[in-house]
Amino acid sequence: MSRASMRSAPLALAAALALTPLAAAQTPPASRAPSSRLPAAEMAVSPGPPPQAPRADSSSRGRLFAPEMAGRSQAPVTARDNDSLVKAIEGKLRCTCGCNLDVFTCRTTDFTCTTSPAMHRLVLARLDSGMTASQVLAAFEKQYGEVVLMAPPRRGFNLAAYFMPFVGLLAGFVIVGFVIRGWFRVRPKAPLEGAAAGEPAAPVATDDDLKRLQQELEKFEA
Amino acid sequence: MTDLGNIALWIALLIGVYGSVVGIMAGKTGRAELALSAERSVFVVWGLLAIASAALMRALLAHDFTIEYVAAYTSRNLPVFYTWSAFYAGQKGSLLFWAIVLATLSSAALLLNRGKYRELMPYVSVVLLVTITFFIAVMVFASNPFERLGFTPPDGRGLNPQLQNPGMVIHPPMLYLGYISIAIPFSFAIAALLSGKLDTGWLAAIRRWTILSWLFLSVGIVLGMWWAYVELGWGGYWAWDPVENASLMPWLTMTAFLHSVMIQEKRGMLKKWNLGLIIGSFLLSIFGTFITRSGVISSVHSFAQSNVGWFFLVFLVLAGLGSFTLLGYRWPQLAAEANLESMVSREAAFLFNNLVFIVITFSVFWGTLFPVLSEWVRGTKVTVGPPFFNLVNVPLGLLLLLLTGIGPLVAWRKASTANLRRQFVWPVAGLVVTAAALALVRMSDGWALVAYALAAFVTVTIAQEFVRGTSARHRQYHEAWPLAVVRLVGRNRRRYGGYVVHLGMVMLFVGFAGLAFKRETEVTLKPGQSAEIRSPYGHVYRVTHQGVSQYEQLNRFVTAASLDVYKDGTYIGVMKSEKRQHMDSMGQPTFEPSTVVAIRSDLREDLYVVFAGAVQGTEEAVYRLTVNPLVWWVWYGGLVLAIGGLISMWPSGRGPKIVARRRALEAGYVARVDA
Repeated sequence: MSRASMRSAPLALAAALALTPLAAAQTPPASRAPSSRLPAAEMAVSPGPPPQAPRADSSSRGRLFAPEMAGRSQAPVTARDNDSLVKAIEGKLRCTCGCNLDVFTCRTTDFTCTTSPAMHRLVLARLDSGMTASQVLAAFEKQYGEVVLMAPPRRGFNLAAYFMPFVGLLAGFVIVGFVIRGWFRVRPKAPLEGAAAGEPAAPVATDDDLKRLQQELEKFEA
Repeated sequence: MTDLGNIALWIALLIGVYGSVVGIMAGKTGRAELALSAERSVFVVWGLLAIASAALMRALLAHDFTIEYVAAYTSRNLPVFYTWSAFYAGQKGSLLFWAIVLATLSSAALLLNRGKYRELMPYVSVVLLVTITFFIAVMVFASNPFERLGFTPPDGRGLNPQLQNPGMVIHPPMLYLGYISIAIPFSFAIAALLSGKLDTGWLAAIRRWTILSWLFLSVGIVLGMWWAYVELGWGGYWAWDPVENASLMPWLTMTAFLHSVMIQEKRGMLKKWNLGLIIGSFLLSIFGTFITRSGVISSVHSFAQSNVGWFFLVFLVLAGLGSFTLLGYRWPQLAAEANLESMVSREAAFLFNNLVFIVITFSVFWGTLFPVLSEWVRGTKVTVGPPFFNLVNVPLGLLLLLLTGIGPLVAWRKASTANLRRQFVWPVAGLVVTAAALALVRMSDGWALVAYALAAFVTVTIAQEFVRGTSARHRQYHEAWPLAVVRLVGRNRRRYGGYVVHLGMVMLFVGFAGLAFKRETEVTLKPGQSAEIRSPYGHVYRVTHQGVSQYEQLNRFVTAASLDVYKDGTYIGVMKSEKRQHMDSMGQPTFEPSTVVAIRSDLREDLYVVFAGAVQGTEEAVYRLTVNPLVWWVWYGGLVLAIGGLISMWPSGRGPKIVARRRALEAGYVARVDA
């Protein structure tokens, strides 16, 4: 064990601590409270506090020279657009415009899409009607089918999607186990004659032998 | 020139078929002149494809809009930089690009192995020629880049704005090179199976090619992530899109091969497995092309879709059937030459490492194809998106990271208890202390905590290997520390290059885990108004909207929104995000407006600003603000990965030999006779 290697562990730790985001430690407790109807684990993905409200309207709004070149006109953002529950629900819903993105990502990325803003409004409306997050998701599934969910619901045939990789891992372990067992079986089991008689298995190595062995090992390891 | 390109393709097709037949005859009869003819066919096909490529390039640069491909992917006002990249931006051009690159690599492989592996080379020529000829046939019969329009449009449609990014000039060629270069190891593997020469000759021939393929794939994938991050504007770099998955799968199997091939080289074990991995990697590269082209699975890469996907499916099935039938035929001759001596050995660690690689490959494959399977079995469409892949692959990825740390710590053949204790004590200490410290400061994400703890474990492992190796050299040869490091790496490039790759992987995992702490918010700001977002480190970014300006620039009309940015009250600069409306040469809008994000990075986090659009044609702007922790660790990790790959594959130069000679001289083993 060299001294240098002893130094490497604290160094790695210091680097990890200095560079690792510590969301829970530095987020005010109030903002981490499970205020929504989603499980805490889901909320932990975007637990940030809402930004401060824009300052009082002391500014002007000049008109653009060519507004038609600036893309689709946007509606002002409301506090609910940033609601973590709304984001979490929309992260589980696929936009039906064909973009392959979830509703939240699509409406905040593809600013030409009209489908994701419409689905966003539907999410808000359903939440306003008193539905819980899971009821909103169920309502979308009923409306569009399972394809609207970003991951297959964990029931029936879909369970195969979730279990097969781990079944594969298990099967792999079993197969590797059998293969290794087969390899062990063909190993010679009887010890060498000299060893059985209590004699040293090999002559004592000289320094030169050890040096050559070291070099051979280095070559082998390279 | 266009007609010349077309004719060149037809002749190349005929020569390809001729060379394939002659190559088979050469392999069967052993006649040297036939083998030479097959090799020369490869060179001739390369020459013909070079003529076709030059013809297409000339048509692109000369704006020859009579050619359908040129009109579809370029316009008169497209910058020359991107006109060049239009060569492979569309379906037809990318097929020609694939064919010319494969022909170039094939010619290089044949030249580099001239006079060697005589039993293998005729079959190598055959496999390469069949693959090249397949691509030429697809072009000639289904997707000809020289197809003419019945009229001459005044201007072309232009290049998709998302492809007008420097990353797109490098990323697709790198990925193509990765996919294509797998054909070289595949051809040697098939040649070994066809000829029955199953010793380690074919392995020696492909050693650098496999690392080269892996390197191209790695760089291509990381560049693709970078492109997605800076261009697509969604604030991430990996979305588990089917086309992304298609590039990841051969990378995984190639990485598995790079590990398991060491067992075959050192112990003569895993011969069947290694052949299977090479065949699988090649088939997965064709499968990736099928996914991209066929549209059978919905993907964001839909701009590359056409009807030629089904040609690739047929090729895939035939290549798979042929290859695995051959492997089955040679099965009895591929018995292991040695046995595993202990479960606690590097061989066993590599076996489990390979198992995890293959299971991850399977899970990605399974998730990618599950929508098709579901529709086929139940008649119900499902979406398999990031939530599924993250759920399944995060634990498997962490298991792999653990094995990345364990592998180098265990000795070959059999590790003793003392050896294990000596090797593991500091890495495990690094793991435990990091995990405890992160738990103590209440890190909120369990998976991220495990990832950082394992990253510390692997980092200490790598550091320990370097420190011990360098110390040994310092003690034994009295070399200065920096020189000892350089010579340690130089003498054992494969081993220490591999450790550098592992370090790159650790950095990538650190970056991936950082995404668990991503924060984002949307705001609407009038000029002069401000908003704030808090980073996971506790910093507060305040942004003040300066206004929206509009101007013409190159082939586009730009709407730019600017923000003054303050970090914890200190001004750090201006960030500008744009909407770009691309125009043709007559000033008419072409595609939908695209978004250009503004990114301010440091090692710890990125502030990522997207101008979503203006409110009712005014300067009031909607922004999405995102704080992405540790993103630069992904880019730097990719760089370190590539450096490690280069070290591993770098050929041995004269340096070490000279040093060894000097030492031998000093030690009296060699006498110098001065003239």
